[in-house]
Amino acid sequence: MKRNMRIVVSMVLIASLAFSLFAGGKAEEAAGKKVINLWSFTDEVPKMMEKFKELNPDFDYEFNTTIIATTDGAYQPALDQALAAGGANAPDIYCAEAAFVLKYTQGDAAHFAAPYKSLGIDVDAKLKEADIAPYTVDIGSRNGELVGLGYQATGGAFIYRRSIAKDVWGTDDPAFVTSKVGPGWDRFFVAAEELARKGYAIISGDGDIWHAIEGSSPQGWIVNDKLFIDPTREDFLDIAKMMLEKGYTNDTQDWGDAWFADMKDAGEKKVFGFFGPAWLINYVMAGNSGGSKPGEGTYGDWAVCEPPVGFFWGGTWVIANDKSPVKDAVGKVIEWITLDSSNTGLQYYWANGTLEGPGGTKDTVASGTVMKKSNGTLDFLGGQNMFDVFVPAGAFATGKNKTQYDETINSYWRDQVSNYANGLKTKAQAIADFKQQVADNLALNI
Amino acid sequence: MKKSGVSYAKYGYIFSIPFVVTFIIFSLYPTLYTVVIGFTDLRGLGKTAFKILSDPFENYKIIFANKTFRTSLKNTAIIWTMNFIPQITLALLLTAWFTTRRFYVKAQGAFKVLIYMPNIITAATIAILFNSLFGYPKGPVNDILVRFGWVAKPQNFHLQKWTAKGVVAFIQFWMWYGNSMIVLIAGVLGIDVTLFEAAEIDGANATQIFFRITLPRLKTIVLYVLITSMIGGLQMFDIPKLYLNGGPDNATLTSSAFIYNQAFSGSYLYNRASAASMLVFLIIVVLSVALFLLMRDRDEVKLRRQERALKRRGGVA
Repeated sequence: MKRNMRIVVSMVLIASLAFSLFAGGKAEEAAGKKVINLWSFTDEVPKMMEKFKELNPDFDYEFNTTIIATTDGAYQPALDQALAAGGANAPDIYCAEAAFVLKYTQGDAAHFAAPYKSLGIDVDAKLKEADIAPYTVDIGSRNGELVGLGYQATGGAFIYRRSIAKDVWGTDDPAFVTSKVGPGWDRFFVAAEELARKGYAIISGDGDIWHAIEGSSPQGWIVNDKLFIDPTREDFLDIAKMMLEKGYTNDTQDWGDAWFADMKDAGEKKVFGFFGPAWLINYVMAGNSGGSKPGEGTYGDWAVCEPPVGFFWGGTWVIANDKSPVKDAVGKVIEWITLDSSNTGLQYYWANGTLEGPGGTKDTVASGTVMKKSNGTLDFLGGQNMFDVFVPAGAFATGKNKTQYDETINSYWRDQVSNYANGLKTKAQAIADFKQQVADNLALNI
Repeated sequence: MKKSGVSYAKYGYIFSIPFVVTFIIFSLYPTLYTVVIGFTDLRGLGKTAFKILSDPFENYKIIFANKTFRTSLKNTAIIWTMNFIPQITLALLLTAWFTTRRFYVKAQGAFKVLIYMPNIITAATIAILFNSLFGYPKGPVNDILVRFGWVAKPQNFHLQKWTAKGVVAFIQFWMWYGNSMIVLIAGVLGIDVTLFEAAEIDGANATQIFFRITLPRLKTIVLYVLITSMIGGLQMFDIPKLYLNGGPDNATLTSSAFIYNQAFSGSYLYNRASAASMLVFLIIVVLSVALFLLMRDRDEVKLRRQERALKRRGGVA
């Protein structure tokens, strides 16, 4: 009995060792068998590939997909390793999120990226034909050469409550609300005061306004290799303090429980609006509105209007590996995702929510051409066509004020702003401490 | 005469091969690599080539001058102390109750399991749980305080430096007092029962027994708990990182979180991170040795010294 057991165990061990050998052999064989390695942090792009194969039956490449979530910063180190290691299993196509895309298109990891032109894509003609939002091109360009493009457009709007607008101003017309909350922050705070008098908070917390301020500042955190605090961003210190003192917000933190609660009126005061792109509506607010059809919770009581300042927030860029052995095939896939503005291009399906059949989630896409022929009517927005607002919003957005350190620097900045706004330190001290943190942790010149 | 039979020693070596190989590849090599790159210019993403700096200690000098590093060391010391004092006190108290011969605590096993339980849950889960508990403006703790009228309006706990430190210390304490207790109980069970019996016959009360017999006999175990807890405390990372990411205003930034930020928060300063971790390593070594010297049994040392002196004179064969 015991002896049998020993034999079984050793057989299992040998088998498992041999298996990994076979697996290794298979991977190498597969390189000749037309495989495209795809790296992503969500299943969005891998799902698109199923549709692509369905549309192109004679496309005989297999997709070998690796999905690693961005949680805990796991995606970037793994991707960096895979790119640096190279070989048959190196990524051919990889995705990068707005928070770190600059690292892969212009920063420390840009040398891995292949110019779209080298993939056989007629970039200039296609860009014009598809009418791609300029900021996505800015972000995806390495010294004027296009290496990455997004399929989404993440230009932001102001998403507000119809019932509150009616209560305060007697109308919920988007054009009217646009003229109330903007243009410019001065008008926005006048509106905030009017709302506050009726007991409403104009936004949930200072984080909401930060995305708009960050996105609208002319300069990013780094100018000429030195830390630079743009006056627009410096103003955020006083804006945050003022909003807190005057009670214009519920003093929540974005992505905190209280922030989500404000989307269904569960906060201290009812909140008038949120700043955000189309994805915030579909992927965050709809699920947190306390309902799933008009009349339930706040579902259907929302509308979008132009924000006081233009900004964008988030998005996914698709990049090809310069060392990929299957560049032609990769080019076809990338062109379909990012530059095909026809009715069978990815973006048309994505905009109309028809990628997996009718009735899916609608979203704004990078191609203006596609947006013009798509329908963005949403029940969540009381039947408003959100594209009417989001298409022009994309044009205001700029990618020139981003740096690859944004995620880290923003967190230091927001921390100091909270300390100042709550009266825990002076403005000078807050700025000095912020600079100290950047210098100590990132070794940047201050 | 040649001893026939099987040499069992070789099986020891064979069975330890997997561990030794894993250790060399995944522990020893990275450690040595860390020591080396602390003296080099290795920084930046995806770079593997490096050269030794002309001033090999440049990274160390930079880290010494780094204000945030000093803050992080201070925080680590404060948070560890805040966690260890209540931890060892409670663990000793529970040990005394569970091992006393005067009475028997009913359902001891259940209590021990329950007390040990927090240690089983992943630290990350607990840190995120506490972040929600102390949420602002909505969170269970705030709800309770407001409902009972102890505060007029919700408090932003995430901005209060000492609350943040206190919560991290509390989580650390709450997760580890059960573990310390189990180790201490094991230590008490190792003490010769006749000692307790003798004390009882001599009329010693429970307090006297605890302080005169249990505690002195437990000294080495307490030292062990102290040193392991200190090493763990100096490496404290997941809880402060996930609770408030080192905030507010660096109040819960521990030295490990600082090292992580050096290496992975954007500039990839691998060389400085290595230098900082070597400094933390040195601190751990120095403190451990100091504690060890401080806590060792002085009588035993004296005895050993006498023995050695005797041996030298040839008194003892």
